Amino acid sequence: MRITQFSATRGIVLLAAALLAFPWSASAIEKYSDPAGVNKRIEQLRQSSPSLVKVHKMAVTPGGREMLMIEIGKAGTAVPAVMVTANMTGTTPVATEAALSLASRIASDASLPVSHTWYIIPMGNPDAYARFFMKPLWSDPGNATPFNDDTDDQTDEDGYNDLNNDGLITQMRVKAHDGTWVPVEDEPRLMRRADAAKGEKGIYKLYSEGTDDDGDGQYNEDAPGGTNVNINFPHLFKSFGKRSGLYPGSAPESEALLKFAFAHPEIAMVFSFGTTNFLLAPPQGGRKGSLDTENIRIPREIGTALGVDVSRTYTMDEIMEMVQPMLPPGMTADESMIAGFLGLGAVVNPLPEDISFYNEISSDYKEYLKKKGVTQERFDPAQPEDGSFELWSYYQLGLPVFTMDMWGLPKPKEEKKESDGITTESLEKMSSEEFLALGEEKIASFLKESGAPAQYNAKMVMGIVSSGQMKPAQMAAMMKQMPAPKKDEKKGDPKETALLAYSDKHLEGKGFVPWTAYKHPTLGDVEIGGIAPFAENTPPASVVDSLLDLHLPYLLGLVKRLPKLAIAETKMTDKGGGVYQLEAWVTNEGFLPFPTAMGKRNKVPAPAIMTIEGDGIEILSGKKRTPVNDMGGMKSARYLWLVRSPKKGTVTIRLESKQAGIDSEKITIGG
Amino acid sequence: MTAALTALAIVLIQAQEVKVPLRFDFYYSYEKVVEALKALNTAYPEMTKLDQVGKSEEGRIIWALTINNPKTGEPFSKPGVYVDGNIHGNEIQASEVCLYLANRLLTNYGKLKEITEVVDRNVYYIIPVVNVDGRAHFFDDANNPSSNRGLRISVDDDRDGLYDEDGPDDVDGDGNITTMRIRDTLGRLRTDPSDKRLMIAIKPGEKGEWTRLGQEGIDNDGDGVVNEDGEGYVDGNRNWGYNWQPPYVQRGAGNYPFEGSGIKAIAEWMLVRPNIIMVFAFHNNGGMYLRGPSFKAAGELPQGDISVYDYLGKNIEKIVPGYEYLISWKDLYSTYGDFTDFTNNLVGSYSFVGELFQVETETFDGTMMRKQEERSMFGESSDAERQRLLFNDNVVQGGQFVEWKAYKHPLYGDIEVGGWTKMSSRLPHPFMLQDLVHRNASAVIFTAQYTPKVVMDVFEVKKIDSDLWRVRVRLVNEGVMPSVTHASMKNKLYPPDILSLTGSGAKVVSGGVLKDPYMELVDYKEYRPEVQMCQVPGSGKTEYQFLVSGKGSIELRFESAKAGKISKTVALK
Repeated sequence: MRITQFSATRGIVLLAAALLAFPWSASAIEKYSDPAGVNKRIEQLRQSSPSLVKVHKMAVTPGGREMLMIEIGKAGTAVPAVMVTANMTGTTPVATEAALSLASRIASDASLPVSHTWYIIPMGNPDAYARFFMKPLWSDPGNATPFNDDTDDQTDEDGYNDLNNDGLITQMRVKAHDGTWVPVEDEPRLMRRADAAKGEKGIYKLYSEGTDDDGDGQYNEDAPGGTNVNINFPHLFKSFGKRSGLYPGSAPESEALLKFAFAHPEIAMVFSFGTTNFLLAPPQGGRKGSLDTENIRIPREIGTALGVDVSRTYTMDEIMEMVQPMLPPGMTADESMIAGFLGLGAVVNPLPEDISFYNEISSDYKEYLKKKGVTQERFDPAQPEDGSFELWSYYQLGLPVFTMDMWGLPKPKEEKKESDGITTESLEKMSSEEFLALGEEKIASFLKESGAPAQYNAKMVMGIVSSGQMKPAQMAAMMKQMPAPKKDEKKGDPKETALLAYSDKHLEGKGFVPWTAYKHPTLGDVEIGGIAPFAENTPPASVVDSLLDLHLPYLLGLVKRLPKLAIAETKMTDKGGGVYQLEAWVTNEGFLPFPTAMGKRNKVPAPAIMTIEGDGIEILSGKKRTPVNDMGGMKSARYLWLVRSPKKGTVTIRLESKQAGIDSEKITIGG
Repeated sequence: MTAALTALAIVLIQAQEVKVPLRFDFYYSYEKVVEALKALNTAYPEMTKLDQVGKSEEGRIIWALTINNPKTGEPFSKPGVYVDGNIHGNEIQASEVCLYLANRLLTNYGKLKEITEVVDRNVYYIIPVVNVDGRAHFFDDANNPSSNRGLRISVDDDRDGLYDEDGPDDVDGDGNITTMRIRDTLGRLRTDPSDKRLMIAIKPGEKGEWTRLGQEGIDNDGDGVVNEDGEGYVDGNRNWGYNWQPPYVQRGAGNYPFEGSGIKAIAEWMLVRPNIIMVFAFHNNGGMYLRGPSFKAAGELPQGDISVYDYLGKNIEKIVPGYEYLISWKDLYSTYGDFTDFTNNLVGSYSFVGELFQVETETFDGTMMRKQEERSMFGESSDAERQRLLFNDNVVQGGQFVEWKAYKHPLYGDIEVGGWTKMSSRLPHPFMLQDLVHRNASAVIFTAQYTPKVVMDVFEVKKIDSDLWRVRVRLVNEGVMPSVTHASMKNKLYPPDILSLTGSGAKVVSGGVLKDPYMELVDYKEYRPEVQMCQVPGSGKTEYQFLVSGKGSIELRFESAKAGKISKTVALK
């Protein structure tokens, strides 16, 4: 997570500086296309490959813009599909570029459109994205649905105002008695919170740039902007949240995606380009409220009916055993049924089997970046939001989801530390001997910098490593779970510091508007300035191509990781008397499981079905249609049938999965 | 038996001609419900409006009847009372309650004082059949009392790649899905000696006679399991957009909120009627009036709302004897994405689910079988069933139970088929329907008297100085329900009510809530004092004081989404 792609290709940085690229001004328009321009480019792609590319209108936004989907492929719904969404918040221009570029790369590839169908939505939130091309510039993920943020008698009546006429909405700082902010000591352009506990008094109040248009004493509290499409999905949806919408799917954009996904069971994988990056920061557990399948408490009412002791806890397996005899014949107890029956609620953490494939792909991706010469550290990507598209795709579609932010703010080089470059990453690869060889001093300073609790002093840690109780890699894993070391509060927010440094170095300082005095109609003497909108997440237009050249090939390569089911071998044994045993080995040739553990739990991915057919055969044992609901990556399983066939014939065994392919074998029997 | 069934069928299905006043001694098919609505609309063209709310999965129209007296104002100027039923396709008497309510209000307007008052006070939005496909199929197809509950959205229950391919079958062709049993000396059941139609569990040491094979049906798809993938199942009452949870958390949820086309249409229809303050959703059965929340994690409702519910609920218990006023999650079980959580939280209304009918009232000795033992999760007690059979035999002359008869099953061989008919168990016999619809519609009418009704009193205009006036305004709510529910206030669902003061020659210097008129305690609003956001409490008042400079006349305007608009002009003199 500490690696950045920014200096991927030597020279990008220099190039950026040389072109004086400024993503949020005129030069950006040359690169980033506005919503109408995006749709025009989609149409151009269709015209350039009319036999391969179809364009569908998914939705018309509340602002009257079209949300389009590019379908690329030769086989339509007959082959597994990848769904790609981008810029669902409307605040990530590079994501739309990435999706458009991905589409043209696929359309010009010989194999990709054949093996898979691609459903690509380059602009998931056109209304919010349109703001990137308007003046003044501000960033808001809400679509154009009118929304009364302050629940007063008017709607969208108090938005931002570009008071200093620089085309940007930044901040206002005002000296106030109840101010809570002070300038950062070394960098007075940045602000930090005053710490009253340490005897500091705040000087400034901070506001977003604007006037109190409706005269209610608040500033910019009801700006235009309705629903953030990205958080209008049903997993962990936030009712009455800011920009979350009235209910999941209340925005036409998200509703269209809900409908589309369930109408297309061939979708086997999801990519989403936006603010998160599951390759650098794979999904992690730790959220409260997830079910512990080893310790389940049975509610009293149900316990009484089952006739069990409710004062103790049970494992999922034990409960399944208890419930099974009470079910009607033919019904099998499974985790999902028990979870529903006991009211255990939704899964809120990635299931362990899925975390392991995410971690494996993540370390492979980091290796890939290393090979490409990407060495500079960047800031961690954002964590997925509650109610987001990416969470929904995993938890409710049960699909492997990979997200990508394409760019992250580079971390400034830090002065050399006493710990001499030991990081949790390097710790992971160290043997116990190598670790102990670092010596007490270096280990102590490393522990201190990592924010390890005081009781973990160097001596004690060296003791447990030398006794073999813990390996350096385990220690590294533990340290990753720890909260980030406390930053030096006097220095202000490290990300803002980095942005300022980045802006000064590569953007001629245009990522930051210097504070300048302004006479505000109601606040009096204020200063206007601060970080420019979009500076934090939008790379200069000139570096976009090289970023996409770096990331998109890796993402396209993930398609090879998809589960692929095949019949590896068939066998026939003559049992005598016209009775034959048929045997088929089904194997998953892909790395990813079919389906994911989450898909197994939510039962949304359609099962693979094995069918057996032959003229005049009678199945004595086994089923005509056998669901294959669980086939781990690189795993195989054997299926058996006993059939009777009085005469010679052919039996066809067919394996069919919307997500994982089709295969069939013929077996000759009898005679 | 066949004769009795045929007779019943004639009574139930080939219903009489539909005309106003409507009759309630039979059940209305979907088509008959529509006819009844049209008849009411034709008979009362001024007072009613018939809307097509939307269409179901199979294309049937969902109809809504709006009852409003235009002489007392247009619909949005009044509180909205919304009533629906039959969201579960099999729970059909709910629609009769809706029709009865409409019929009662319209045919007695101007005749009964109480009815006239509640009609003039509110607008009524009535959707008698929510699950139109379910009702149609419940009448037309073979069913048991609990089948055909869901929406017509296919689900692959047995996950074999085929949808709804193996549901129950009416093997004996009598229009009912009853039970199959097979003789089995190793079975766990034997014939009940007190009524040979019933079976009871054997005691240790006793010899078994029967094994229950489940619902009538064959193995349609030849997979070795009988009836394992029936029609649906998406439950219309788990598919709403508030606290919805997916099917792996709760069966029947649907793939996403508002997957049901009719459910979505109704939601949209309600959301553009922000005056709806009271909601009744009728179901069967058990004899309950349920309020939210529907799930534990929601926590308790605001105390102000609980008081409203308690007042209404405890009175409804008296109007409908035997019915209990209960809290949904606490007294029953948690549900997610149900209708009344949607209306409570996103429409901003008070909502009751009325669970109609208590099978305990079907007895031979005339006394209601008191909630005997605990209601078992796995079947009812035989005592109750014996009473019901006596009721069937002696009070309604049959039709509720199909006698066991032999059947040659393709898989099981010689078996017997029999049991309770689809029109039994959860539906009152038509002779008892009149009582049920009247009492439950009366629960609605009772409640409709207590919708918010706000009156404005400008009780003081006092000259303070040559150019300064003190204006005091009182808003009094004569209803029990506040003008905005407390939950809506808490959730900031929509802007609360507005009290504004304007005047061409006047300027509001200051204004705010008058907390104590004697002490002159005023909570002045610093900005925009001419606009006050307010909530008028149920059975209560709220007072405001304005300091106004200028002259001429001023207008005081109260605007409420649920409680209408009031405007008063007074002179500064």
